[in-house]
Amino acid sequence: MTAHSFPPRRTALRTFLPGRGVLRSEWMKLRSVRSTYLSVLLASVLAVVLGALATSSDANEWATMSAQDRARFDPLGDSFVGLVFGELAFGVLGVMAISTEYRTGMIRATFAAVPRRGQVYAAKALVVGVVSLVLGMSLVFGTFFLGQAVLASRHLEVHLGDPSVLRVVLSTGLHLFVVTMIGFGLGALLRHSAGAIAALVAMLWLAYPLGRIFDQVSYLPSRVLLFNIADAITRTRPATGRPALRIPSLELAYTSLALYLVVFLALGALRVVRDV
Amino acid sequence: MIEVHELTKRYGPVTAVDRLSFTVRPGGVTGFLGPNGAGKSTTMRAILGLDTPTSGRALVNGVAYRTIDRPLRVVGSLLDAGAVHGGRSARSHLECLAVTNDLPRSRVGEVLEMTGLSGVARKRVGGFSLGMRQRLGIAAALLGDPPILMFDEPVNGLDPEGVVWARDLMRSLAAEGRTVLVSSHLMSEMALTADHLIVIGRGALIADAGMADLLRSSSDGVLVRTPQSRRLADLLTAEGARVVAEPDGGLVVTGLTVQAVSRVAAAGGVEIHELARRQASLEEAYLRLTDTAVQYRATTPGTRGTR
Repeated sequence: MTAHSFPPRRTALRTFLPGRGVLRSEWMKLRSVRSTYLSVLLASVLAVVLGALATSSDANEWATMSAQDRARFDPLGDSFVGLVFGELAFGVLGVMAISTEYRTGMIRATFAAVPRRGQVYAAKALVVGVVSLVLGMSLVFGTFFLGQAVLASRHLEVHLGDPSVLRVVLSTGLHLFVVTMIGFGLGALLRHSAGAIAALVAMLWLAYPLGRIFDQVSYLPSRVLLFNIADAITRTRPATGRPALRIPSLELAYTSLALYLVVFLALGALRVVRDV
Repeated sequence: MIEVHELTKRYGPVTAVDRLSFTVRPGGVTGFLGPNGAGKSTTMRAILGLDTPTSGRALVNGVAYRTIDRPLRVVGSLLDAGAVHGGRSARSHLECLAVTNDLPRSRVGEVLEMTGLSGVARKRVGGFSLGMRQRLGIAAALLGDPPILMFDEPVNGLDPEGVVWARDLMRSLAAEGRTVLVSSHLMSEMALTADHLIVIGRGALIADAGMADLLRSSSDGVLVRTPQSRRLADLLTAEGARVVAEPDGGLVVTGLTVQAVSRVAAAGGVEIHELARRQASLEEAYLRLTDTAVQYRATTPGTRGTR
């Protein structure tokens, strides 16, 4: 028997706490494939270009806009209009970070190198989480400043110091992060890129009419949908009319968002420790 | 040392591995043989802790693989050469594995050199041929300079030069005192590479023996050539032997030793051109052993029931 064959002590912490080597490996994995760069590039270009287009059309048409349209004008929402593609691209990034390892079979080499699967999962989640948070926030702030610079030509811009503007900008970045991590959890759960992306798209956007089915009984199902949560945390003024009933309070919105994050990460974790 | 004790793995109603026990010792190449679906890959995955056995256990150096810290330094393995992300370069692929076990990056360059991949180290793996992927998989197995190595069908897709290279590599790894387990369906290749054979069929052990023993036990009587085949056959049959004529005119005699056949021929005044103990090829030995254990057999109309 050789010296390195003594079994180390097993603790809950050891099960999920990745060492530096595992973290570095996951960071290298994410950096060494083109799909990562493509997702981020696509998200950035669409968000920036569409945000710039929307705000410049606001600025150009302001002089001829009706009073009603002016009242409806949303300087934040218009600069973030392209971020819907950002959500999709970041979600796909989250899915691919883990599903491609299963699709290619690389996961077996990974688990042979690091038999504690919880550590691999935690390292992946940490790397994907930090990357999406940093890039997502950069993208959101970049889009914000660009859009407000365009609006500034007609003095229509808002500033980070204005009521709830900073919170909304931060929440928009936070939402990108949570969507990425839901994608990641789905990727681990389904182990299949196309299936996980389809499930993510369904949850993000296609579930909206499903929530409406329950409106007669309760608005709660609608209120905990990601679409309406995003609406709640990214608007600067209250919604009006019937759609407003489907929008959760800020407390419910942030709580639900946190629950989504925890539940999908946990589902992925439960699946990952199973055989491959 | 690899020890498999009463290993059983069931997938629903299918028993892939059935109370399998064997030991793989250091210092030699152990061939792992069996028909498709015999459970070779399942057994290897169980040894690596990738599949959890239904019952029984598999140990490497006396402990379960999953409890080993930095296992690439203990066991190197190649399970599936295709199991790499095609978008990554060969170097990145190996670096991603090396850092998890705190292996220096210089080691990646070394194994790329050893496997002849230095020239394509920065190329994306997606463009690699199967042979190049096998070399990359072997490079990954060698990363931790481990005392135990397992290769699942490593020569698949290698060109003749690559096959010779892989064979020499396995032999030299074993000569350094390492434990080497190699699965293959190429009998002729195994005959040249392995010292010891483990043969399984339908998940159960069929044979666990040295190459020489296995060939001797299934050697099949005596081969004799003579211009007077008919006469000699009659004489031998009278002595209680069973004689079968080969298509090329030779006679295969069972039930008598070489000496006895020689004596009968001399007594009967029969001229002998060739007389030798008939050595079964590993292929024949293997086919005989696994005959009842083949799970997916192609049947040819008209030849059924000839065995």
